[in-house]
Amino acid sequence: MFPAIESLAMTFPTLLADKNADFWFPIQGSSFAEEVDWVYDLILYISLAFFVPMMVFMVWCLFKYIKARGTKAESQLSHHTTLELTWSIGPSVLLVWMFVQGSISFLDMRSPPEGSYDIGLQAFKWGWTMDYGNGTFHPELHIVKDEPTKLSMRSTDVIHSVFIPAFRVKKDVVPGRYNYMWFQPTIASEQISDEQLAKLKKQNEGTAWDYDKVHTIETEDGEKEVQVTPEGYTFFDLYCAEYCGTNHSEMQTVVVVHETQADLDAWIKANSSRGEVSMEEWGELLYGRRGCSGCHSVDGSKLVGPSFKDVYGSQHGLTTGENQLVDENYVRESILAPKAKVVAGYQPVMPSYKGQLSDDDIASIIAYLKSISANASSQPAAAEAEPEAESAE
Amino acid sequence: MSNATLPAGARDPGYPTERENYLTNSSGILSWVFTLDHKRIGMMYLIGVVSAFAIGGLLALAIRLHLLKPDGLLFTGAEGNNIYNQVFTLHGAIMVFLFIIPSIPAALGNFLVPVMLGAKDVGFPRLNLSSFYLWVFGALFFVSALFSSGLDTGWTFYTPYSTTTDTSVILATLGAFILGFSSIFTGLNFIVTINTMRPPGMTWFKMPLFLWATYATSIIQVLATPVLGITLLLLIAERTMHIGIFDPEFNGDPVTYQHFFWFYSHPAVYIMILPAFGIISELISVHSHKHIFGYRFIAYSSIAIALLGFLVWGHHMFTAGMSSLTTIVFSALTFTVSVPSAIKVFNWLATMYKGSISLTTPMCYAISFIFLFTIGGLTGLFLGTLATDLHLHDTYFVVAHFHYVMVGGTLIAFLGGVFHWWPKMVGKLYNETHGRIASLLVFLGFNGTFLPQFVLGSRGMPRRYATYDPEFAFLHQLSTFGALLLGVGLLYAFIVLMVSLAKGRRAPANPWGGVTLEWQCTSPPPYYNFERPPVVGDPYDFHNLEWDAENERYVMTEPERKLVPESTPDEVPAHAGGQK
Ligand code: HEM
Ligand SMILES: [Cu+2]
Repeated sequence: MFPAIESLAMTFPTLLADKNADFWFPIQGSSFAEEVDWVYDLILYISLAFFVPMMVFMVWCLFKYIKARGTKAESQLSHHTTLELTWSIGPSVLLVWMFVQGSISFLDMRSPPEGSYDIGLQAFKWGWTMDYGNGTFHPELHIVKDEPTKLSMRSTDVIHSVFIPAFRVKKDVVPGRYNYMWFQPTIASEQISDEQLAKLKKQNEGTAWDYDKVHTIETEDGEKEVQVTPEGYTFFDLYCAEYCGTNHSEMQTVVVVHETQADLDAWIKANSSRGEVSMEEWGELLYGRRGCSGCHSVDGSKLVGPSFKDVYGSQHGLTTGENQLVDENYVRESILAPKAKVVAGYQPVMPSYKGQLSDDDIASIIAYLKSISANASSQPAAAEAEPEAESAE
Repeated sequence: MSNATLPAGARDPGYPTERENYLTNSSGILSWVFTLDHKRIGMMYLIGVVSAFAIGGLLALAIRLHLLKPDGLLFTGAEGNNIYNQVFTLHGAIMVFLFIIPSIPAALGNFLVPVMLGAKDVGFPRLNLSSFYLWVFGALFFVSALFSSGLDTGWTFYTPYSTTTDTSVILATLGAFILGFSSIFTGLNFIVTINTMRPPGMTWFKMPLFLWATYATSIIQVLATPVLGITLLLLIAERTMHIGIFDPEFNGDPVTYQHFFWFYSHPAVYIMILPAFGIISELISVHSHKHIFGYRFIAYSSIAIALLGFLVWGHHMFTAGMSSLTTIVFSALTFTVSVPSAIKVFNWLATMYKGSISLTTPMCYAISFIFLFTIGGLTGLFLGTLATDLHLHDTYFVVAHFHYVMVGGTLIAFLGGVFHWWPKMVGKLYNETHGRIASLLVFLGFNGTFLPQFVLGSRGMPRRYATYDPEFAFLHQLSTFGALLLGVGLLYAFIVLMVSLAKGRRAPANPWGGVTLEWQCTSPPPYYNFERPPVVGDPYDFHNLEWDAENERYVMTEPERKLVPESTPDEVPAHAGGQK
């Protein structure tokens, strides 16, 4: 758009919110992006066409008409009706144009095509859960390139808002109602090779995966900077745009665009059930994936909710003043009906996971909690839960 | 004072004596606390709103310093995000409810409306005093919310967040409720004053544009503020009794709250900007020594804005999920408001053309205003247009847009107004050079703060974020450095005014060459504003003004004018002059 400014932007890599973005906008990742940017530019140029001459005129007046104090003005003209009518009505025509263009594009953005790929989205303080059907949930949004995709969105607590800058879309997620939005991604994510990913994993051993971190990887044609998911996909940012409390600014996830439906299906399948991994490992995965880690630490520090370190098998004081042993049943209840028994010193803010976690999932989480608790061994009940959960699968 | 160099027939009220000057005619703290004089009440408001601005400004600096680093600089640790959230909430709430809404109408308006009108006081002096104390009382509620358990809802108090958070929402909403009454009383008083207390000859179209702007503002204050009051009471009822209007947990609808809230708060934006338009019209005309261009268009456009302002609240909710038709209608209505605003800017520019411009401090602010407000207004087009708004809503683009309007517009006009009327209010002249330097710093600092935020927003940086993705760091840092410069500029301007109190030269009645009535009384004005009933004429007719170089002041040369112009006989108010 402004070549000079753009090249300036390139010299400041920190300016780049998404790679390949230009000075004003993030990358154009959906079929809406081009249109929205076009309307934006239209308004920008019309605005500049007014602003620049007006300011030039003002500055010119300053040079021309700054006079010594006491000098009389050259003219005392008090009005000029034709001139005034012209500058009232003239710009109005341009305003109508802007309005019409904006509304046409808006109507497109409001009407999802028949047969769009439907994904459920649930927003909660402070995270996202996408529902891919058949009991598969995941915090990342995975979709297919060139496929119209519709999100059916709901919130469990306060108003949130889904904002994907690269797609130029935004919609509030209002509790008590479903809101919908749709878009058609046009750029597929890339996936780095398994070796490269393994290398990154090794570098980041022991810390939580940082999506924001820019990694330098080697490719055939030199070095490249990428931000990737733990599975090695490049992505687009998805933000919460409606203020929703403490961790509002951390309520982010990513959008991964697959090249084909088959790719996506494979990904869904890989994420749908525990498969071969152990219960502890699966529990740990779920702890990260399903938003537990947003509010509960595993190192003993106090976040929005109590830490999980050494919690299993210990006694907790409740807001009612009673004491509660953290056992199988209590954990299960806290996941399904979190407001029933709230730990003293915390707010009843946790969303319910009822209908979203299978028995196996819950049992896995319990197994994970046990594995990080020094108090767990004293709990015989643990041993009995495992076969029961497995048979339920 | 020597009259030797004065042209024949010159009139100048000279300097006030100790006894007749409103600042000194009675003394002691109680003479201020119980005063019914609109000028003293105006001055007390001025001190009040400037203090509120100082607090809000420090909070703003805290916000900006925090955002120097992507992970946050100032508020770190487990409570960091919560503290940041409280800081931006209080910054917004204090700036809106305690500073920007009362700043021009209550502080400058109280001082100026009766003087410009040629009246002795406002219609209801006691109501006026009580509205000041309501303001103080409401402010105390806000401050107590700050010291009890904070407030973290954002100044908009959106449900259901506000009905469920455990911070002091009730204290703060009660504060806003009380402030609402203060605002209503002020508006009511001005409507009555302007309707009934104009002296003979002061017809509607002989009124200075500042009065038109104040009148339009007052209409909004009286009509819209009660809606806010009711909304806040409903919010408190929802929080305490779960009556189920706003909270989906009790079958309420949170979007209803947004409709109620913006039905007040959008017109409130015009409570903030209309008086600023009024000030700028005065400044441009007086410091260009030229008749304001298109008086009637400017006057009518104020009223048009006041009325249209009631129809556009829905443009804050384009992403909330209203029906497509509703959304489009609100977008269309939004565009209608931009026309009258644009008209004003064209008129101001035309006023400067072929004028005799003095680049005084107030004029510097007026020019900054035109520049900044035009940017604010034009960027509003991006937000009124549906397709682009979906991308820009709730990002820093919006933050930049409303700061260009509210700070670049209202705050700058307020500063310009304070500098313009300062000699009149306190009877002292300030140092022009320093005044101009300060205004330049404010201008540069302001643009440095908020221009980068437009880019931040269109690149996708959401607002109200305590931490952000590292890619945005550079633009945030630019913005913070701008804010520091802005802070320095504002402090500098404040010091210039304070120094003038101690060291400034005595101000003549008419230092700039204004024709409106306040320049025909002494500086500072006498207790009852005018010794003799002022002669009312066209407030922008500069023909009979002469510069008296020896005494550095302007004087009126034509001694007598017809009291009632024949051209508009039927417009003489029925109940004129405030005679009981
Ligand atoms: C020194 C000058 C100022 C600076 C640097 C500044 C900066 C900021 C910043 C950084 C935010 C937070 C944006 C966000 O996180 O979404 C903000 C919000 C806000 N500011 Fe200012 N501001 C300044 C002056 C003012 C003034 C004078 C006003 C009053 C007219 C004002 C009104 C607001 C409002 C209404 C909000 C929104 C608060 C909210 O999101 O709840 N600001 N400001
Ligand atoms: Cu959120």
